Amino acid sequence: MKNKKRLLADILFMLFILALDFILNLLLGFYFETQTLIPMIFVLGVFLISLKTQGYILGITSSLISVVLVNWAFTYPYYEIDLVTPECIVSAVAMLTVAVLTGTLTIKIKNTEKMRAEIEKESMRANLLRAVSHDLRTPLTTIYGSCSAVIENFNHLKKEEHIQLLNEIQEDSEWLIRMVENLLSVTRIDGQKVNIKKLPTVLDELIDTVLIKFKKRCPNQEIEVNIPDDFISIPMDVMLIEQVLINLLENAVYHAKGMTKLWLTVTVENNLAKFTVSDNGCGIDEEILPEIFTGYLDRKNTNIDSTRNNMGIGLSVCATIIRAHDSEIFAKNNKPCGAVFEFTLETEDNQ
Amino acid sequence: MNNRYKILVVEDEKNIRSFVKTILNANEYQVILSDSCQNGIMMFTSYIPDLVILDLGLPDKDGIEFIRYVRTSSATPIIVLSARSTEEDKVSALDAGANDYITKPFGTAELVARIRAALRSYRVTENAILPDGKFTLFDLCIDYNKRIVTVAGNEIKLTQTEYNIMSYLSQNTDKVLTYATIIKEIWGYDDVGSIKKLQVNMANIRKKLGSKPGETNYIINELGVGYRMRDKTNI
Repeated sequence: MKNKKRLLADILFMLFILALDFILNLLLGFYFETQTLIPMIFVLGVFLISLKTQGYILGITSSLISVVLVNWAFTYPYYEIDLVTPECIVSAVAMLTVAVLTGTLTIKIKNTEKMRAEIEKESMRANLLRAVSHDLRTPLTTIYGSCSAVIENFNHLKKEEHIQLLNEIQEDSEWLIRMVENLLSVTRIDGQKVNIKKLPTVLDELIDTVLIKFKKRCPNQEIEVNIPDDFISIPMDVMLIEQVLINLLENAVYHAKGMTKLWLTVTVENNLAKFTVSDNGCGIDEEILPEIFTGYLDRKNTNIDSTRNNMGIGLSVCATIIRAHDSEIFAKNNKPCGAVFEFTLETEDNQ
Repeated sequence: MNNRYKILVVEDEKNIRSFVKTILNANEYQVILSDSCQNGIMMFTSYIPDLVILDLGLPDKDGIEFIRYVRTSSATPIIVLSARSTEEDKVSALDAGANDYITKPFGTAELVARIRAALRSYRVTENAILPDGKFTLFDLCIDYNKRIVTVAGNEIKLTQTEYNIMSYLSQNTDKVLTYATIIKEIWGYDDVGSIKKLQVNMANIRKKLGSKPGETNYIINELGVGYRMRDKTNI
């Protein structure tokens, strides 16, 4: 579909340039006696067309048309076609060469650009990997250390000590699971938007699943839920959006100090569903607010070791997921206190 | 000793096999281990287990092949272990005949609960149905003879389709029924708008039953896959 549109636009562009060439030459014919400008103008036209259109075909077509036009309108005998004269063949070869060379150059440039984008993405991925590996080391140290402690000192440890070590192992494994889930989400999107598979999802089924999962992880945290009563179907990659909501809710639990209330609200207006997760905790430091969704990747070495920072990666995963759904996620501070996270998704047309 | 349930575990990862075995032994199940699809099929035919725990990503063949093979001759419950992948994998495993799936990584409690549920529903196909033709779950009651659904004694007015869906789900408690399975059972045919039609009906059922998101409801949403009616003993 897109290709067809593109081709149509290209053909129109070609016709436009050729017509412009033709008219320009007619006008020039009135003002100047000489005809030396005519082939130049056509060559310029062919060059422009090869530069702007995709592939070789239109460039070559336009050069052939130009040759015919020059032969027909601007060489003696006027308004008659005589294609076998040597001049005509030479000019045809010249124009074809221009078309092909320009086409080749354009394609080369486009490829270089693509490669540069690829390299940039690769370095982003490398940064993420570095940051993540760093964060993975801490829980792995605990797990490995605790296991060794249990195995090597099995007979010397008291029962409570065993339990405590094992609990720590479990806690850190759970943290690892969450981290890996986030990473998986990111890799699923990595190839740009290709892997996102949107399925129509019923809003209250989504919220139900999210709440049940969240309750399992944070059983003591109450959430106030406000969603419309109507049947609302939203095309989305369910697993990813589920992850976004869980991340936002957990983010509040771990980072909104002093929070007593947590809200999950969805409103629908003009085919747009707006998801809001807000709390009445300590809010977000205004300084880090602008880069809260990218901060993780930029943060070079500020005490990564000391804090278990799941938040950074969780939020940048949210941003990546929402962007892959052609939308944007926003964070701001609530009045009088607390933080607000918001994103919108298009609902299914109910026609 | 001899009347313990036999469970076949087909899983190529040694450590997972070992801890699943420990859990199952601790819960008084007899365990047979296998590490490939081919070997699993052999074990299945020679030991005739009561239940199979199957990993989908096996080195020699896709686990789906195993399900297809077993389903040609037997209705033994199969629980699939799937790495967190797409919904499609789950759907295709369920549609091939698997009874349930657990996403890796999973906890002990979850695994044991699923095994119990699968064994129970296999043993007594119409498990929660009382002799008088009624199904109960918490305060929900379905009277199959009168085709009436009540919650805490109050009759819930359901349409014909809604009742059929409820009745079908309640006869398969604790089993994930895929959208396609339910649609085929209720409407008999499958077209483009079917899933939407089912989702709208389910939304109406939830509303009529007074289900609230996040609470302990009768029906569990398996997003992108299907629905599952809860079982009393497995919450």
